[in-house]
Amino acid sequence: MAGSFTVADRVRDGGGVKPAPPSRPRRRGIGWAQRLEIAVLSGPAILMFAGFVIFPVLMAAYYGFYRWKGFGPPTDFVGLDNYKTILQDTAFHEALLHNGQIVVLSLLFQGPIALGLALLLNHRMRGQSIIRVLIFVPYVISEVIVGTAWSLMLQTNGAVNDVLRSIGLGWLAEDWLANPDLALWTLILILTWKYIGFAVILFLAGMQNIPEELSEAAAVDGATYWQTQWRVTLPLLGPTIRIWAFLSIIGALQLFDLVYIIWGQYVASTAGTSTMATYMVTEGRNAGNYGYGNAVAVVLFLISMLIALVYQRFVLRRDTEGALTGGQ
Amino acid sequence: MTHKRTLAVAAAVALAAMGLTACTGDDDGGPDSGGNVTMDFWHNATTGPGKAFWDKTVADFQTAHPTVKIKIQQVQNEDLDGKLQTALNSGSAPDIFLQRGGGKMAAMVEAGQLKDITADITAETKAAVGEAALKTGQVDGKAYAVPVSILPGGLWYSKDVFQKAGVTTPPTTLDELNQAVTKLKANGTPIALGAKDAWPAAHWYYFFALRACTPAALDAAAKDKNFGDPCWTTAGENLKAFADTKPFNEGFLTTSAQQGAGSSAGLVANYKASMELMGAWDPGVIASLTKDTKPLPDLGYFPFPAVPGGQGDPAAIMGGTDGYSCSADAPKECSDFLNYILTKDVQEGYYKAFNALPVSKDAQGAVTEDYLKAVLDAYNKAPYVSQWLDTIYGQNVGNALNVGVVNLLAGKGDVAGIIQAVNDAAKKG
Repeated sequence: MAGSFTVADRVRDGGGVKPAPPSRPRRRGIGWAQRLEIAVLSGPAILMFAGFVIFPVLMAAYYGFYRWKGFGPPTDFVGLDNYKTILQDTAFHEALLHNGQIVVLSLLFQGPIALGLALLLNHRMRGQSIIRVLIFVPYVISEVIVGTAWSLMLQTNGAVNDVLRSIGLGWLAEDWLANPDLALWTLILILTWKYIGFAVILFLAGMQNIPEELSEAAAVDGATYWQTQWRVTLPLLGPTIRIWAFLSIIGALQLFDLVYIIWGQYVASTAGTSTMATYMVTEGRNAGNYGYGNAVAVVLFLISMLIALVYQRFVLRRDTEGALTGGQ
Repeated sequence: MTHKRTLAVAAAVALAAMGLTACTGDDDGGPDSGGNVTMDFWHNATTGPGKAFWDKTVADFQTAHPTVKIKIQQVQNEDLDGKLQTALNSGSAPDIFLQRGGGKMAAMVEAGQLKDITADITAETKAAVGEAALKTGQVDGKAYAVPVSILPGGLWYSKDVFQKAGVTTPPTTLDELNQAVTKLKANGTPIALGAKDAWPAAHWYYFFALRACTPAALDAAAKDKNFGDPCWTTAGENLKAFADTKPFNEGFLTTSAQQGAGSSAGLVANYKASMELMGAWDPGVIASLTKDTKPLPDLGYFPFPAVPGGQGDPAAIMGGTDGYSCSADAPKECSDFLNYILTKDVQEGYYKAFNALPVSKDAQGAVTEDYLKAVLDAYNKAPYVSQWLDTIYGQNVGNALNVGVVNLLAGKGDVAGIIQAVNDAAKKG
């Protein structure tokens, strides 16, 4: 979804039009050949988008009004009952809280660590490319493999506790996955490990766009390394950081696979790692309440969209304006 | 705006395309001009002797019925439910397919997707299978499936480990089970439990409920989805007291039931745990997880022990059946096939291929394994057999029940929480 909003905003915010009159330019003189070309080139994409994005969203909204077991067409119309139940369900409140915690903790942990690593890697040094690859590898590995590997290692009789015991730190051995005081932190740790590479790559790309003259000028003015980073690099990296934060927030709101693989459909809520998406699957597919599950999907969609729009409006607006109207 | 119109056209095309696919695909099943019949058949045995058994059974049936052609499709077990649901809803359902029964079957019946085979079940089949087992394929007195095997639950254990710990006879009462657990603790984990999948944990609650509740109370809860009878609380308290003795493997909350050596069945298969409460499919699962993937040589079975003070019968048993259904538009030859798979020879073949108890009483004489004989003995002695509670109460309430039990075992919820969870779930369904 994130992509589509960005595109929509770009179109609305100017679409490469010279600013003076705010009205849209009128398209004139587009011949049939051009229309045909547009239709042929964009038609398949629009068809796919309509069939696989718009249509399912509309169907989810439709099914959300029914009590439906998933066999045959839905017939038992219940209006907004499903939504009332969602708002009253403590399991949903817990899942929402967990999503909030994951959003905040992801930003707090991944941001600073990735920035530090990116600053480090932005210098020419030996083994740079190997370190980059090592940091980026977890991001490339599929969620299923990551989840399975970590869940095996973190079992009470798994590798992590074995290592701790063998180096005399047995008192640190814990039930990392099932202990409700620890489980969320375990999840944050795995998420940080997995997604830090993505942030580092983004930040590095952002840093390489900062003209070197600026830091040279700062050096001439007598700025120390840290002053240069703090006053030059970081502010100019702002747009990149804000885009990364946006992607991170949306990802955290829709988090599903890692939780589902490591904790399964039932234990996530007990351990305190359930998310809105795992709640949706548990209530929809596993409990066979497809109407209710679709209503949860709609709520998840609305929450994500609301946060995305607010973020675009208040945080990203500056950046996109600068980027799109810049260059004049 | 041009692009708006394009979008509308695209949406219309997409809708039409989906509408079309929903209406086609129903071209097979039913006689063609030559009087021949073609049927699709879905089962979940993708490899080994199970697959070979169905291939042979279908070939034999086709030989006896030259006008019938059956196309087999093996669907991986975990994929089956989803694929089947899609096929049923899109109108291209297979004619014959594996039926797990319970709430899902009731939903299929309600949606008019299953064939009523009440009148097609022959007298021979009725005699061989018996009233009680046939009931598992019925909804409101009409038959929509036939069972092929019976899968009662109980405790599967390693005879060697029991012997080593000094437990000479399988426990028959809760007291004896507690004593056995104490002795077994010296040798490792007494009981393996895969609570990550929830239902294995819930089985413990079901069996305590089977001992605490009268059959009437179990039936009443199935009807009105209300767990108000005090026996449900008793069952929860019994389970809590038992769990407080810490009989289960460490980290049981994140242990799965059937996947890999670290699963609960894997722990039993590799002598890391002494026993497991599970349905009669467990010998096969355990066999697939031993080091040489052969059946565990010292595997034993005993029924869930008697629990004092309950209103349920101490010998009552709980278990499900696997069955087969015909979809609503299947030709009449589908019921012929269902009757055929319940004949003595085919049922004996089924037992050999799947290492599971055949439902036909005529074929049960062929069973040789000790543990399967023990299951059969308990099954035949039981005054009544209840289906798995999550199956009877439907997916929705069953799911909530399972989650409630996991919370109880995790110390997150209490017994009242289970009952509350069931009532909340009833609102969603």
